[in-house]
Amino acid sequence: MKTVVITGASSGIGLETARLLARLGYNVLGIGRSEANCNKAKELILSENTNAKVEYFLADLMQQREVNRVSEKINAYLNERCNGELHALINNAGCVRSWYMTTYEGYEQQFALNHLAGFLLTYKLLPALKKAQGRVIMTGSDSHKGIKVHWNDVMLRHRYNPLTAYKQSKLCNLLFAKGLNDRFASDGIRAYVVDPGLVNTDIGNKDTGFLVNLIWKIRKKHGVSPDVPAKTYAYLCEVKDVPDGLYFYLCKEKNYSKEVTKENADRLFELSERLCDIQYGKVGMT
Amino acid sequence: MNVMITGAAGGLGRAMANECASRGYNLFLTDINEDGLTCLKQGLERQFSVTVTTMACDLTNTESVDKMLDVIDKHGIRFDMLLNVAGMDYEGEFMGHEREKLVKIVLLNNAATLRITHAIIKRRRPGKKFTIVFVSSLASMFPMPLKATYAASKRFLLDFATSLRQELKRQDVNVLTLCPGGMVTTPGAINGIKAQGFWGDATTNPLEGVVRNTIDRALSGKRLYVPGMLNRILSFLGKIIPSTWVAKVIYWRWKEVSHNGSAS
Repeated sequence: MKTVVITGASSGIGLETARLLARLGYNVLGIGRSEANCNKAKELILSENTNAKVEYFLADLMQQREVNRVSEKINAYLNERCNGELHALINNAGCVRSWYMTTYEGYEQQFALNHLAGFLLTYKLLPALKKAQGRVIMTGSDSHKGIKVHWNDVMLRHRYNPLTAYKQSKLCNLLFAKGLNDRFASDGIRAYVVDPGLVNTDIGNKDTGFLVNLIWKIRKKHGVSPDVPAKTYAYLCEVKDVPDGLYFYLCKEKNYSKEVTKENADRLFELSERLCDIQYGKVGMT
Repeated sequence: MNVMITGAAGGLGRAMANECASRGYNLFLTDINEDGLTCLKQGLERQFSVTVTTMACDLTNTESVDKMLDVIDKHGIRFDMLLNVAGMDYEGEFMGHEREKLVKIVLLNNAATLRITHAIIKRRRPGKKFTIVFVSSLASMFPMPLKATYAASKRFLLDFATSLRQELKRQDVNVLTLCPGGMVTTPGAINGIKAQGFWGDATTNPLEGVVRNTIDRALSGKRLYVPGMLNRILSFLGKIIPSTWVAKVIYWRWKEVSHNGSAS
């Protein structure tokens, strides 16, 4: 049985992906923030198939100590019951913020959750991913196009704009995936980014202000149901001959921003390693 | 430049710490939340090459403050700036709260702020300019039913700061009072803003801009900073409209908002 970890798995795209992968026979380990939503999600998946293997872990991944705590729990679970193997990690948890807000570390929240949380969690689960020659899949967005990383002010303290912060964090997802492939493809690990398209989820209505709330309420009505992008995640988990592409929409490769270069990916790795106090080159050495 | 920030692990304190660290100032951070301080110190040192010292302290407790001052003196730390951020509020009707909770608001916002201000001015770097920031509030401009204790405690800071500024003017000290409207510093604050609908967005001041301007203005000798045009108009109205009328309007409006807030 293959094991998959999905973040943000109690609602929206993460929940639909968890449901689909559970149906396909995966052992699903979901991470969510709200206990009530996690319990509901677990019940829903079990109601569809009483034999489904599903477990939920609570964590607010925006905070690094929460990533550290939950990754220890998951590693213990994997070692105990899954032979220390993880076949796929889906870094899906994300947020939108109307205003500049910070985590306990003082990091801007969209950058912290949409990028750094996945960067740190992947690092923590890398030995298990290596063992299973697993895949790392990020939830990206076409909004990553038409922007550069603000290297001198990644937290956007100088002039915060919710959309700029979101776009930049989604560009970081692609740079992170590229950096992972550059470093660990030789170990059998492959990283991908899914463009879910416009999806009818509540991402823009959680902890946002009046304006973002209003815009998203109108915009999401035109979105597809979250079970549509879920198929692309399942495809990337299932496909036997690992595709060379990086960015996928509706199970097909798609073009991505010209900003996704080795140079930028290396720069993001260096910065993110510093902000998480980790070194990917030293995985498993501690 | 050595800067002391109280209430550093909260939303506004963290933003202030980020702003100061980005300018290369060394920081002494205190807060009652020790875990929060540890996380923030890590975050700041990973981003900026500054020295960050932290010490958890309950500013309402004399012994706790004395202990912190001992550490400061032992290491011979002297300051160029003090940012008084620590503060608290319990919203709602005066009689709806426990007695000691209400007293605590004044003990922290006022008594503790005086304590730390006196102590840190004594420990200013000799022969150098010294800067103090008091975080008051737009609430200091009006009597505010349902935030009665908080608003009055912030008025205390505003008046106290103005007087202290005059006393210390000749000793190369500047005192600035920050009177912001709503700022998104906690997850709870978002719900409050949401409950106010359009007006919530309109009176909310962007945190990152407020902290940058606050430091700029404090260093250039300004006395008062009310961020945002709408808030400046509101504070002006607070001066010309009879306070009994203001109290009536605010009571009616907050009653409405708190009703919406609890309904959603």
